[in-house]
Amino acid sequence: MKKTGAEIVIESLCRHKVKSVFGYPGGAVLPIYDELYKNAYRLEHILCAHEQNAAHAADGFARVTGQVGVVIATSGPGATNLVTGIANAYLDSVPLVAITGNVALPLLGKDSFQEVDITGITRSVVKHNFAVSDVRELSGILDAAFEIASSGRPGPVLVDIPKSIQTDLCDESEFVRQELFFKELPEVDLTAAVAAINESERPLIYAGGGVVASGASKELLAFAERISAPVACSMMGLTAMPAGHPANLGMCGMHGSQSSAKLQSECDLIIALGVRFSDRATGNTAKYKEGKKLIHLDIDLAEISKNTPADVELHGDVKTVLQKLLNLLPQQERPQWKAAVAEAAKLDFCPEENTLAPRSLLKTVAAYCDADTVIATDVGQHQMWTMQYFPFRSPRTLLTSGGLGTMGFGLGAAIGGCIANGRKRTVLFTGDGSFGMCLQELATAVSQNLPLLIVIFNNGVLGMVRQWQTMFYEKHYSSTTLNRKTDFPALAKAFGAEGKRVSSLSELKKALTTLAPDTPTVLDCQLDMDEFVLPMIPPGGSVQDLITHKELK
Amino acid sequence: MELFTLELTVANRCGVLNRITGLYAKCKHNIETLSVHGSGDPALSVMRISARGDHVIQRQMMRQLRKIFDVKSVVLLNNSTY
Repeated sequence: MKKTGAEIVIESLCRHKVKSVFGYPGGAVLPIYDELYKNAYRLEHILCAHEQNAAHAADGFARVTGQVGVVIATSGPGATNLVTGIANAYLDSVPLVAITGNVALPLLGKDSFQEVDITGITRSVVKHNFAVSDVRELSGILDAAFEIASSGRPGPVLVDIPKSIQTDLCDESEFVRQELFFKELPEVDLTAAVAAINESERPLIYAGGGVVASGASKELLAFAERISAPVACSMMGLTAMPAGHPANLGMCGMHGSQSSAKLQSECDLIIALGVRFSDRATGNTAKYKEGKKLIHLDIDLAEISKNTPADVELHGDVKTVLQKLLNLLPQQERPQWKAAVAEAAKLDFCPEENTLAPRSLLKTVAAYCDADTVIATDVGQHQMWTMQYFPFRSPRTLLTSGGLGTMGFGLGAAIGGCIANGRKRTVLFTGDGSFGMCLQELATAVSQNLPLLIVIFNNGVLGMVRQWQTMFYEKHYSSTTLNRKTDFPALAKAFGAEGKRVSSLSELKKALTTLAPDTPTVLDCQLDMDEFVLPMIPPGGSVQDLITHKELK
Repeated sequence: MELFTLELTVANRCGVLNRITGLYAKCKHNIETLSVHGSGDPALSVMRISARGDHVIQRQMMRQLRKIFDVKSVVLLNNSTY
């Protein structure tokens, strides 16, 4: 029986076990939306307020489930609005399939109404993209899109489908497969890695998003205990290790823990697992590697030795390779190094606070969260404080924009994450600047009755930029003082959500005990504008340049 | 800086050349010469691309190009300094 292109799209989504898609309708995707209407019983469409947020929601959904997130948008502005969301997923290696409509084939390339070359626009921020030009190819292209998005190092794939192809008819017997060249992973030789680990006196593990993507948290823990090495995480890897484990040094890098900075400079071997040595994680790369060996394991060969040359290159999947390493390595005690780790951990001690401040706020909210509560953040100071002080207990519970640093990512991601996590309570930590970027998506959280807890770190300024202006630009506060007078609780109520102003820890605790079960709540927390994110390694600096609270005073 | 030439066997379809030259542009490597021609197989074409870069750049470009799903193989043809 012949099927339309739109029917083929829905069949394909269902075949890939997609239950929820995020999106926004429009002229060039009407046939697909007509099929969504008919198939609502088996495929849920979450209507967002803006395509960018729909992409972030699909991204958040994918981060929580580990499955491919799907977003649909119309041609032209619908498609261009996705670009930030797609780039965000690309930089954080999130499996995403973005489906865009386009004008009918005969109108393509003629600057028709709502026509853009979205495959051209997105080419440098996708893992791969397709412009469908024949309905016979559609099914094969969608299969390939899911395969590419989820295999190897995950990433976003865009499929652009002209409207005429959505209505063209085609029988299954006419389907044409896409010929694509998938590259197999090689056999990994671990001899050099095992020798380097056995010879090392002070090994340190640097774990990243690849550990989470590979589902290798257990193996990481076993590996760290087996070789008595501490673990410093990149931001993307932060949930790979449970907080509170003695080997967990927390986040490393520009705003990483003091213990991670100290031990990183003292170690003689770095074992990098699923990380890409971002400038935010390493600072000055030459100094970063001085006097140490580096083993670099990644599923993407192009990441190995890209930013920092590795002495031992391991091209493979983190989980598989760690399992093999565990079979080859005996228990190694390293008592002196363990003592040094325990000593360094004392550097991270912070006294308890009794007033409403970033750390006390995060600790108070954390006490109301479960081990599997999904935490989303936006970008800026509040994000770094969340990384430093929130005790993450399980993998895939953190939704944060790591590589792209997208202000406005949080609300969409929290919506997607909440739906992915059985619509359980989900927390968004945001700033008044970031929240201002995409707050229209409150409408979606309300229409979906999602129990989001939105905590605004409201300091009236663009805090992270202001911090840099204070430290490096002689306090020239150029365009960072907001002076907006937005009444966030009233705004929340206007959207149909709950909203409260919070000025003290006791008010915060009271608000947390009276949260509505099926409505988003905005807590507008009043914070000081001159709180700094510390410690800090200045851009391009090294551990010797570390600025702590003491140095600043 | 050394001139290096890569020979790529790629899928013969729309947008492939753009994807490959886009990668050179993103990494700010100017393409000095470029040729594209058919192969014995109508589904494949062969590209030869020369750009300048040391061995680290050469290795990185080869690794990045191999990731492209339209690219079947990448071979380093020659190194010549002039």
